[in-house]
Amino acid sequence: MAKQLFEWDYSSYPGAKKYPHLFKPIQLGNLIIPNRIKYAATEDNFNDPDGFITDADVAYMRARAEGVVGGLCFMQGVYMDEPRRGQGYVGQAAAWDDKFIPGLKRIADAIHGEKAVAGFQLMHCGRVGGVAVPYAHGPSYVPQRLRVFTPVQEMTKEDIKQCIKEHADACRRGIEAGFDVIEISGIVGYLISNFISSYTNRRTDEYGGDIRGRMQFAVEVIQACKEVCGDEYPLGIRLCAEELLDDVRGNTPEESMETYKIAEEAGVNYISVTAGWQESIVPVISRDVPMGSWIHLAKRAKEHVKVPVQMAYRLFYPDLPNEAIGKGELDMWEMCRPMIADPYMPKKILEGREEEIRFCVACNLCLARLFRDAPMTCYINPLCAHEHDENFYPKPVEEDDKKEVMIVGAGPAGLECAYVAAQRGHEVHVYDKREQLGGTILEASKAPYGDDELMTCINYQKVMCEKYGVQFHLGTEVTEELIQEEMPDTVVLATGPVYPQLKGKVAEGARIVNVLDVLAGRVEVGDNVVVWGNRKPGIGVALCLAKQGKKVTLVGKDKTAGFDVNPSFKWRYMIYLRQNRITAYNDCDIEEVGEGEVIVRTYDGYRFPVACDTVVISEREANEGLKQAVQSEGIELFVIGDALVPRNMSSAVHDGYRVGLRI
Amino acid sequence: MPVNAEKEITTLWRNLHNAQGEICKTFYRWREAALEIAGPDADETEVALKAIRVIGKDIGKSFLPRLNWLKGEEAFLMNLGRALAGIWANEGAITSVEKGEKEGEVFIKCTRDPWPTYAKEYGVPMEEVAQCREKLFQTILEDVSLFFNIPLAIEMLKAIPRGEGMYLFRLYKAE
Repeated sequence: MAKQLFEWDYSSYPGAKKYPHLFKPIQLGNLIIPNRIKYAATEDNFNDPDGFITDADVAYMRARAEGVVGGLCFMQGVYMDEPRRGQGYVGQAAAWDDKFIPGLKRIADAIHGEKAVAGFQLMHCGRVGGVAVPYAHGPSYVPQRLRVFTPVQEMTKEDIKQCIKEHADACRRGIEAGFDVIEISGIVGYLISNFISSYTNRRTDEYGGDIRGRMQFAVEVIQACKEVCGDEYPLGIRLCAEELLDDVRGNTPEESMETYKIAEEAGVNYISVTAGWQESIVPVISRDVPMGSWIHLAKRAKEHVKVPVQMAYRLFYPDLPNEAIGKGELDMWEMCRPMIADPYMPKKILEGREEEIRFCVACNLCLARLFRDAPMTCYINPLCAHEHDENFYPKPVEEDDKKEVMIVGAGPAGLECAYVAAQRGHEVHVYDKREQLGGTILEASKAPYGDDELMTCINYQKVMCEKYGVQFHLGTEVTEELIQEEMPDTVVLATGPVYPQLKGKVAEGARIVNVLDVLAGRVEVGDNVVVWGNRKPGIGVALCLAKQGKKVTLVGKDKTAGFDVNPSFKWRYMIYLRQNRITAYNDCDIEEVGEGEVIVRTYDGYRFPVACDTVVISEREANEGLKQAVQSEGIELFVIGDALVPRNMSSAVHDGYRVGLRI
Repeated sequence: MPVNAEKEITTLWRNLHNAQGEICKTFYRWREAALEIAGPDADETEVALKAIRVIGKDIGKSFLPRLNWLKGEEAFLMNLGRALAGIWANEGAITSVEKGEKEGEVFIKCTRDPWPTYAKEYGVPMEEVAQCREKLFQTILEDVSLFFNIPLAIEMLKAIPRGEGMYLFRLYKAE
């Protein structure tokens, strides 16, 4: 007899009418989940180095549990071995001993406190594990493609048997801690996927050979866990539908589908479909991959197995999974990054507040942080990783402390600051000389490879500003006189950067244009373009121009192009620069602009000419404008975003949020 | 335009050659240090080969993200051959890579090798220079073979350790 843990009635909510397939129940094993939404297990590096759960993780999970409005909410995957070979992240939760149960119970209780279904994931990280020890475990010794990972040691049969037992023991601990669903992680390069893949499994014993042999370890883990779970606790597994490892002779898609069938035969109650490994050389989840690109894998999985199929992977907008579920191509909508960016995303969908969703911009900063042993953070959600810290929440100001705040600049920094300050009770006025909100993001979002998604941040901020009564004064340039006239209590300068002039000689008539004008299409450029500045704005405009057929050269002072782009996305840009035949001269500067060419000077003084008919300025400097005017009036002053130090959109948003809390 | 191309190139060229010389010299300086620590009974060549294995292992790792089996066996072997020759060229050698007559076979030629000059300066036996080169390539291939699950091998067919004439290596897919 199937059971349902918590009663949910979505019938009166607008979201349930708009997306009926997302808010209907589904049965996993003998458990009924009230809706089709799952916060998938996501590492966060918030926990104690010894694997004990921290307040930060509990608070983080509680927010996501509230967000899934009765759906499935998984805590991060746990490692299960005392020698820590299975540990892939320094702050990963552990479950190798009963002493971890009380901490795990705190998370299960937090999830149940929000009337959501608590999921517990077993995750031995295999060849990407061993983060705190000299070597990781794998089915065979196959060198790591990326240096960041620990060397692999081949597991003996005793190691394998021990590892299966550890899965079963950890499974029991999860159930004792109060979790309702158990999941085995077999994806992206973790241990089970290592056994399954022909790339990493070269064994000749019963755990190697053909796909059935390579699945043997997974089957034994499933069976051992199934014995613990019985019929009461659903057991699922995450498996790759496509490893995207053809370049190293990984599994074929047909073999991957075979693994699904074998897992189903072994007794799992659902399968979570994934694509790619951390070692894959093709993009899977970054912004340059169009939304819904992988949905065909869920459809393929549905054609091969009868158990419910779940999937995440570039399904950020609810219409995609709603439609897929309606068409029978998917059963449950998983989310990781969308709910890192906005933990309450499904709740907002349900309540008909979609415009209030802060959408993930698929920058992969969260992943970049994890791989560098840092606590996870989010590019656009400043509250992420601070859910446990009450100082990070907007607190209402006392009536006497309410201020009139003038924010100069309606870019991501200014807008973020505006709605947070207004939410706290201040009277906030946002000024911008332009007629539109967005600041430099209006132009930055014109760059190719998915940068249009950056505007989702501005759209969110606009809605929040309107919600909290921020008053906009667009088309109004703030001057010293206007400040003296208005005499606000506080001025926040979010005016964006200034674009410096070239320092060397410039020939008369040389065509020099601004990056924003080029991206917006306000100016024409020639066929041989040199972009000055090798950070993100320079890369964006260079790619944009190369797509128009221009010969583009990037010249910048940083040692590598894209210094301000996180490494989990930067590798994409490096490939696109090569593909678009853009030459990058890093650690260089433009010394002179002549007729038809510029002289590039290397950091150590070598000089060479580069053919050029147009120079695009994308170097940026801090904006000192209006500071003096504000300070001379004795007005409280904050400078944020690129006006303070030119950086990226994330820094602008985080600056804005924090100053919004401080005013 | 006020660029004196000859001056820029000759300065750059001189500095490049100095840097290339430093690569060889640094190896031999460390070799001396290792021999001093190892003591008088140590086998000099064994120490040098051990050092070159460490270097080869590290270089091998840097090859892994750059090679792609999807380009086909012939392109894969040519790229691998070019990568091996490229290391040598960075040190100041003149190298070339040619496809062999048989399938799965590539030849790496070196017509100018800077190492013997410095080996002489530091009193290193000439045979060791050739042995080190072969060991370096073999060590690099160890991880590449394991990673791609392809049995790769390399053998030295000709060695002129005095830096004249020609080195010839055969890179091939072992059966």
